[in-house]
Amino acid sequence: MTQKLRIVLAALVSTLALAGAAMAETVRLGAILPLTGPGAVIGTQQQRGIQLAVEQINAKGGVLGNPIEVIFEDNQAKPDQSVLSFNKLVDLQHVPMIFSAYSGPTLAMAPLATRKKILLVNGGAQADKLADASPYLINTIPTIGGEVEVMVRYLMSQGKKTGAILFENDAAGISGRDNYLKYYPAGGGTLVGQEPTQFGQTDFRPALLKVGAANPQVMLVAITAGLQQMAQQYKQLDQKYQVAGTSFFADPQTIADPAAEGFIHTQVRIDAPAELADAFKKKFDANFDFFAKQYYNATLVVAKALEKVLADKQPVTGENLRQAIFDIRSFQGLIPMEFKSNTATMVMDINVMRGGKDVRLTEMKSE
Amino acid sequence: MILLQLLINGLVTGCALGVVAISFSLVYSTIKIFHVAHAGVYTLAGYIAWSLSTRGVPSLLAFAGAIAFCALVGAGIQQFLYRQLERRRASHLVVLIASLGMLAVIQNLIAGIYTPNILQFQIGWSQTTLRVAGVLLSYTQLLTVAMGIAAYLGMMFFAHRTALGKRIRAVASNPFLADITRLEPKRVYVIVIAIASAVVALPGVLVPLDFGLQPYSGVNALLTATIAMIAGGIGSISGAFFLAIGIAVVQNLSLLVIPGEWSIGVTFFIFVIFMLFRPTGLFTAR
Repeated sequence: MTQKLRIVLAALVSTLALAGAAMAETVRLGAILPLTGPGAVIGTQQQRGIQLAVEQINAKGGVLGNPIEVIFEDNQAKPDQSVLSFNKLVDLQHVPMIFSAYSGPTLAMAPLATRKKILLVNGGAQADKLADASPYLINTIPTIGGEVEVMVRYLMSQGKKTGAILFENDAAGISGRDNYLKYYPAGGGTLVGQEPTQFGQTDFRPALLKVGAANPQVMLVAITAGLQQMAQQYKQLDQKYQVAGTSFFADPQTIADPAAEGFIHTQVRIDAPAELADAFKKKFDANFDFFAKQYYNATLVVAKALEKVLADKQPVTGENLRQAIFDIRSFQGLIPMEFKSNTATMVMDINVMRGGKDVRLTEMKSE
Repeated sequence: MILLQLLINGLVTGCALGVVAISFSLVYSTIKIFHVAHAGVYTLAGYIAWSLSTRGVPSLLAFAGAIAFCALVGAGIQQFLYRQLERRRASHLVVLIASLGMLAVIQNLIAGIYTPNILQFQIGWSQTTLRVAGVLLSYTQLLTVAMGIAAYLGMMFFAHRTALGKRIRAVASNPFLADITRLEPKRVYVIVIAIASAVVALPGVLVPLDFGLQPYSGVNALLTATIAMIAGGIGSISGAFFLAIGIAVVQNLSLLVIPGEWSIGVTFFIFVIFMLFRPTGLFTAR
């Protein structure tokens, strides 16, 4: 009996040891996204983008034979919750890199990333402060300043030279407002007003009326939640000014709403092959939208960097992953992008919401 | 024109908040419980109406179903939470914490079932607008005003002209005396919360047609309603209703002179002024 028990125990220990060896090859990464709360629509799409990319990479045998696993944490788009999640992922799960989203949370994690040498990859937040918040923060999307500069150039070419700003009173919105304040007058426009709203607020009527009273040709928008409600109230109040925004306008529900007809926005170009969009639709029963594509793309960037680190037989650390991104410099994921700095440069479109679809008006390049 | 439009917007918002305030006031002045879970019942109403409406139930029936459901939830809270706590002689603080807990449970249940995202609640006529004397109003806004006025007048009639209303006022005035004169305060408490929950469900189903559904949106409405109830004079239906309208109008009109982020500050400023100069509230409870 004792002999049998020994054999069983030995078998168990061997199995566990083998399993441990196999698990050691799995590269664990983290993602801190808003999976609940007002930012959840976008956060869920970002999560799906990562999941699809990871699934496809693993289906092809992983990165040089190493499967990837991404551990997701919900931050509800809150900076304090993000810091807790960051410490949990780094101290308990020992991840070398973390995907992040939303400006406030990413800025809150940036000092920790610097101190602990963890690579943060942001594919959705666009506050300008993100550009130099940490040497370990890589942005696979241009900052809002780049988009605003392009939008202002387009508006000036269309003769829209008086504007008013509607902004969300948080890091992303204030960053947007500051950029409009910087670029619009510099481009030759005159700003006639600015109105703040709160994150998650859905009563925009007073702000829209106040903007309308200033009689601008264009309302420059920097809000990330409640866009559809804003469009409906704009339509109900029969406001006539042009509404212009940035990639935050890439909300499928707003685009499909007739109230948003004619809204224009800059759009970081990111096209996906039809088969990829189909695979996404099949897996999640949802459209492969802008933010899903962005995080799919960001995952490809990380996988490429990981491949270099593994090929060079270096340990998978945040520092080595970061260095690999700068060594590779040019990436051909869903969109060609180049890392001359921590923030990628790429082509941008001006889109208009027309007939429930987001239609490309023209193509421009960030200067 | 912007002045008029902002004034009307304030009136519309105020009518909705006024109904939250009178229903909250009814509970507080009768049962003496700071029924924070009322915010959860208010939010729940919209989600129930949305569920029924998206399943093809005609909008009026969906609204009625949501109102009835909320009345049941309110009665359930009284019967299975507050009454049990009263039996255990729980302090006011314990009851307040229990109510906060119930609010969190309702909000999280809603978030769990419906997702925490902003849900669009639209029915055929809700987005249609009318121009009345140069002011643009959606059908939803017009209905909100009509509902607010009807709820206020209905509540006044109910409290002062019906036998049950008088019984509730008697219980509110002296529960001990009401108990020994067989007015059955415990039964009245259940009825009061059921009525208050049904009443708060009225703006609960209408406001989301305008601003969408969010699991945590009821707290802001309750905050303004509480201020209106206290500043209006605890126990005064008119005080709670008109103060809520006043606060909403001031919040809207203040935008003409100060930036929007200060509008909540304006609300609390009004509250502080009232507490300093008229601590018993604008209207004295009768």
